[in-house]
Formats: sequence, C-alpha cells, structure tokens
Amino acid sequence: MLEFQEIEKSFSGIPVLKGVGFEAEQGKVTALVGENGAGKSTLMKILAGIYQDYKGRILLEGREIRPRNPRQAKVLGVSIIHQELNLIPVLSIAENLFLGSEPLTRMGFIDYNKMFDDAKEILGTFRFPYDAKTKIQELDVCWQQIVEIARAFSEDSKVVVLDEPTSALTDQEIDVLFTKIKVLKEKNKIIIFISHRLNEIFSISDDIVVLRDGIFIDKNKSSFISKSELISQMTGKNSFVVNSYRTKRTTKKKSIEIKNLEYNVSKNLLVTIPELTLDQGDILGVAGVMGSGKSDLLRVLFGLPGSEYSCRLKVGDQAFSPNSPRNSLKNGVFYLTNNRKEEGIFPQLDLVQNTTISILDKLASAVINKRREKTVVRDVLREYNVNFLSEDTPIQNLSGGNQQKVLLSRGALANPRLLLLDEPTRGIDVGAKEEIYNLLERLSKKGVTMIISSSEIPELLRISNKIIVMAHGKVVMQKSTIDTDEEEILKHCFMVN
Amino acid sequence: MNVALKNITKQEWFNPFIGVLFIFLLCILFSPTGSEGTIIFLKFENFANIFRQFSEIGIISIGMTLVIITSGIDLSVGSVLALSATVTAFGIMDWQLGLFATIFLVLAIGVICGLLSGVVITFGKLQPFIVTLAMMTGARGFALYVADNNSRNIGFGIGGAPESFRIFTDMWIGIPVPVYIFIAVVVLFNFIVTRTKYGRHIYSVGSNEQAAHLAGLNVGLIKIVTYIFCGALTALAGIIHSAQLLQGNPNDGVGFELDAIAAVVIGGTSLMGGKGNIIGTFCGVLMIGLLSNILGLHGIQKDFQLMLKGLIIVAAVLFQNNSHILKNLTTKK
Repeated sequence: MLEFQEIEKSFSGIPVLKGVGFEAEQGKVTALVGENGAGKSTLMKILAGIYQDYKGRILLEGREIRPRNPRQAKVLGVSIIHQELNLIPVLSIAENLFLGSEPLTRMGFIDYNKMFDDAKEILGTFRFPYDAKTKIQELDVCWQQIVEIARAFSEDSKVVVLDEPTSALTDQEIDVLFTKIKVLKEKNKIIIFISHRLNEIFSISDDIVVLRDGIFIDKNKSSFISKSELISQMTGKNSFVVNSYRTKRTTKKKSIEIKNLEYNVSKNLLVTIPELTLDQGDILGVAGVMGSGKSDLLRVLFGLPGSEYSCRLKVGDQAFSPNSPRNSLKNGVFYLTNNRKEEGIFPQLDLVQNTTISILDKLASAVINKRREKTVVRDVLREYNVNFLSEDTPIQNLSGGNQQKVLLSRGALANPRLLLLDEPTRGIDVGAKEEIYNLLERLSKKGVTMIISSSEIPELLRISNKIIVMAHGKVVMQKSTIDTDEEEILKHCFMVN
Repeated sequence: MNVALKNITKQEWFNPFIGVLFIFLLCILFSPTGSEGTIIFLKFENFANIFRQFSEIGIISIGMTLVIITSGIDLSVGSVLALSATVTAFGIMDWQLGLFATIFLVLAIGVICGLLSGVVITFGKLQPFIVTLAMMTGARGFALYVADNNSRNIGFGIGGAPESFRIFTDMWIGIPVPVYIFIAVVVLFNFIVTRTKYGRHIYSVGSNEQAAHLAGLNVGLIKIVTYIFCGALTALAGIIHSAQLLQGNPNDGVGFELDAIAAVVIGGTSLMGGKGNIIGTFCGVLMIGLLSNILGLHGIQKDFQLMLKGLIIVAAVLFQNNSHILKNLTTKK
C-alpha cells in the first residue's frame, strides 16, 4: 500500500498542496483527478523525488520513503511516466529503455547484444513496429510516449505512476496500454493513473481520488460514482462562481474578425476556427484542457509560428494575416505569454527597459530621451499598481504578480486593439489575481478587445463576457458567460455528453 | 553613505573602475624610479605609450562588447585584423589607392566579414561560436592569399605610401593619434549603447531572445548589425595596426580575440548576454594595459606576464561575480 500523509508543498510562498492524504492499494488502479492546478502533478513529482522540500510523509508498505532524487525513487520502487517526455532523442530505443540500468558484460562494458534482445522482447509486447536500434528522434510523439511507457513497465517497480499517458495516443494504442495496465494489476502492483479524460478514468480505474486546490476531496469507488457527481467534486459545487461579470456594454461595434484559422500543432492536433467575431471591449474566455489547442490559438493570432498556416485577422478596419509578432504588434495585437520567464521578461534589465521595449519606436527616433521615458514608465507602473522601489530594479527581483503587472503595462503602452492573454494569472497569489482582473476590466472599458485563455474556469467566469470551449482543436461550445456555468464548461472540456 | 555616492556604487562600471584604480595604485607603488627619483610609471610618455599599445585591442574590445551583450561571441577578430592590415599595406603600396580609398576598402571588408557572420548566424540558426570560428579560419586564409603568404612592408617616398598615411603614427599635443581614435570609439559607442534604441535592443536580445522576438523586435537584424559593428571596428584596428608596424602581415593578430574577450569579461560584461557596458570594457582594457606596462618596466619576461595575466582574469571575474559577498562583509562591519 502507498500512503500519502498530510503532504504540503508551496512554490515561493504560494501553497500548491495543502495537506493531501490518501492511500493507493496494491493490485488496483487509483485514478487521480482534479482541475488544472489542483496539485496532481506536483504530488507525483514529490513521489518521484523531483521536489524534496515538502511537509508530510509518504509510506510505501508501511515504511516511510523520502526520495531525495529521481534515481533514489527508482531504487525505492517507484517508476513514473511524466507528462513531458523524458527521452534522449539521439539515443536508440533500446538505450533509452535501459538508461541507467544497462546490462553489463563481465568486463564491465555495456552488453549491447543482451540490451537489444531484451528491448526487442519488451517492444514486442507493445506491438511496436520499429527496430530497437531506431533513434528516438525518428519516432512520432505517440510512439515516443509508448517507449516512455515501456520503460516504466520494464522496470520491476512496486509503484507505477502514469501522468496523462494518453494525451498523444490513438485509440488502438490506448487499448494496448490498458491491457498492459491490467497485467500490472494482476502482478499486484500499485498503479496511479492521471488523466483528463473521464471516459478513460472510468474504464480503467478502481478507485478515484479527487483533488481540488491542493486539498484532498474524496476517494470514490469508480463503480459507485457518476461522471457528473465526479465533476461536481472536482469543481466544488459550493465554490461555483456566480457570474460576476455584469457590466452591460453600450458599444456594439464589431472590432475583431477571425476567419479560416487553421493550424497544425502536431500530427494529432489541428486547430481550426472557421469564423469568430468580437465586439469592441469584449473579453472572450477560452477554456479547454491541456492539449486542446487553446494556447495555440493565441499564438497563431499573434503570428508566432510564422507564416506556414492560414488565418485572416481583421482588427478594426485593417485585415491582415498574422505572420510575425512584429507585424501583429503593428496591426494592434499584443500577446501576453503564459511563460513569463522564458518569453516575457528580460530578467537582468530594469523596469524601464522591460516596460517600453515594444513602444520604443513611438517613444524615440533613434536616441532615447531617458527622462521622458522614465516619466512614462513611472506613470503607467503606478496606474497598474506595480509595487516597486525604483525603476532601476532588475525585473527578476520582483514577485511573479508584479512582473505580470509590468508586462501588462508593456501591453497597455502598446495601445493594442486586441489583447491576447495566455494564463494571465498563472503562479500569482490570490490578491494580485484580483488586481489583474480589475486592470483587465479597465482596459476593456477603454475599448480593448481581449481573448483570454485560462485553465481556471472560475477565472474565465469572473472576467469574460463570452466563453468558448475548445477540445481537440475545435470550438465545442460558444456562449455568453451569463448563459453558462462551470459545470457545463467542464463537461464540454472533458467532452462528456 | 550619502545617496549620490550610493548611486555611483550601484553603477555597473563601478567595480571595474575600482579595479583600475587599485591596479593604478599598485603600479605607482611598484614602479621603478628614475635617476632623479621620479616615478617612471607616472611619466606622461609612459601613459601615452600604454594607451598607444592598447588602442588596437581596445577598439576591438568595444566591438566584442556589443557582440557579447547580445550573448554572442566573435572569434574572427584576430584574423579580420590581419586581413585588414594586409589589405591596408597592399592598398597603400601595391594598388596605390591613396589614403581614403584604402581606408574605405578596408572598412568595407570588415563590414562584409561581420555581415557574413551575422547573416549565417541569423538565417542558418547556428551558434555564433561555430560561425565565427569558420570566419576566423577563412579570413586568415584570405589574408594569406592576398599577401601571397608574405608580409608586405610599408615604405614612404616615391612609389610608396603617401605622407598622409603618417596620420596614424603622428602625435597630437603629445599624444599618439590612435589614442584619440580609441577614446572617440569609446565615447561614441558608450552613447550608442546607453542612449539609442539600437543599444536598448542589443541588451534585450541578449537578455531573452524569445521575449525580444515576442516584443516585436527584429532580432535577426539587430544581431547582424552588431556583427557588422564588430567587423568594422576590427578593420579600423587593423589599419592602425599596419600603420604602427609599417607592414601588413597576414600572420598577425593571433589570439587577439582572446585578449579582447578577456578585456570585455574583466570589464563586467556577462558572457550570458544582457549585461555589461562600454565603460567597463574600457576599464578592462586599461587594467590589462597597466599590468603589462608595469611588468614590462621591470623587464619581466613574457612567460611570467602571461601567467600573471591568467591570474588577473580569474581574480577580476571572481571579484565581480562575488562582489555581493564583499558588500555584505562591509555593511556588517
């Protein structure tokens, strides 16, 4: 039996797990469900030894384990298939399968013959069409995922964790995976299964553990609970947000038109939107699970993937095909990334430099008037409630919420007509979240149209006046926020009907 | 500490500046004395000498600073310097182009070298290290080809160099002209880096290239312009080089790229990009210059000079990267 006791974990002061405790039994599949950000992956990363500084205890067969690193976790008998692929692309399938546990000859060299033979055998059980010597980088993502799964299965471990293993798989491959899981069950292993697809969860799992906002909600026998009951557990009926978006719009001016958007994110995901129109000041919320294409939609509208896809965007009277961020900015589109650290901030540069980067052309011909720039920045940062001591502070010294507000100020200065926001409050504490919502509302009143993609449905209900739900790259629901609720949105996200 | 002083200590060039001051004092302390008890190190001629010797590497270091701020590197500067010096000698002597046409031609060659590196780095999506390594090899080869494997001496008089070519070796108010050129380059590029849009852009690209792209900057163009600046400045240094030695030698300039990188790094510019400044590099050049000078005055041989230089580079960078430790120590007391 694997037992979690009062697990707590926070990231830079923001609690993600607030005392989670449950048990997973031998010979059973325990599904772990919850909305994005409920803490499922964090919990599994603790089990895998990736995060070591947590409170609480993990017991495996009655003995406390505290894996200090992934290697130790493996030795303790925990193997995990992570959401992200952890394969080495330049090595062969066999080398990846036995990475860290290569069979050795008597001389201490790697016994390649044995390795390839063993690999062949493992691959055979997965009906794998490639030779064990094929390099990982030559495989499709779904086959890579199968290699990842095979690797976890080939290790003789006590606990097998599958963190969204099916996101890139086709139905047949999922069948193969499920038969393998059943074999593991017969071998009396402890299996933890994380998925966003409720149908799968009901077909494979015995127990279903629900997490919400870092708290353990309930453990159910999967045969005794219905899908809608499960969804209300995941969202918490009491916390259903009444649509607080009540502002009536006076302007009914068509502002944004998206036409014939088509973009291949990967082989299995084609994002298509035939037509979508928004009025001036509209805030459109985009809901959907990971891999539904909701983030990709924003990136396409900003022209990030380049010009190898088709889309016509009409902003005001100007029609254009977004093909580069530079071009989109010129046409009044601004994008706020969901990856602040990698794509948003210039860590070592100060607040002034971070704020004005997109409007230097308007602010200066060639030589920058620093005094004037500083006043502009000071004003906008005050307006957006950025908490700062001096404009000369490097942005990396600010908290996540303040960094986000600086980026928002950057966007406001660019004076966009269409503002695209991807997870605008990711990694931000509750107080700062509310401030950001207010700022967005103020921008909307000024006539800025927004498209907000978020994995937090209450957030979308809070700020948007229109909502679309995306699944598998398509719009599966489109409504006014007033006419819908969290439950309906979630059902569409998980495609439960 | 009063506010003004505190602001100065916060400036990025403050640490390198302190380094220069420190080494300067050391130099006075350990300077040999002349017959009448004068400190030789402090003599005006000696200073002019230091600056003259290091104006070449200084000018190159300024270009290198720009490249490193964008988180790139340019290994080709030594070879481009050799090519420039060679073409200068041939332009003046064999091709009889005259002063201005020669300068123009050489600068154009520097620009083309930078443009090539920049374009390949940007559009080929290759590492600057690899691309400029190739340029380093190629430019050296081209220099040897132009010179037919020999160095070309520059002489004056009939059929030789015009008298105007002496401008690069002349003194003006007791100071060699290359020193003025170096100072002018420092002032100009300090202005460009701190005050212009282009300056702002190179920091942004170096700090976070993806964020710069998303902020609507033309990242490729910014990089290309930077390598062009570096190439042109190197060509300028090459002209001075040939004028000072009165020859164009295709085998010169070996290892200059490392000296330039050392000066840039000692000056507080981060090889990770996004951080650094021209004044810092100026201080870095001075530090290396002062040290070489004082060691030379004592007649210390090259072997020891090199070993000491290695030590200084590590010490300077250690000091800068861990200056917070020093600051903590001083504030606690």
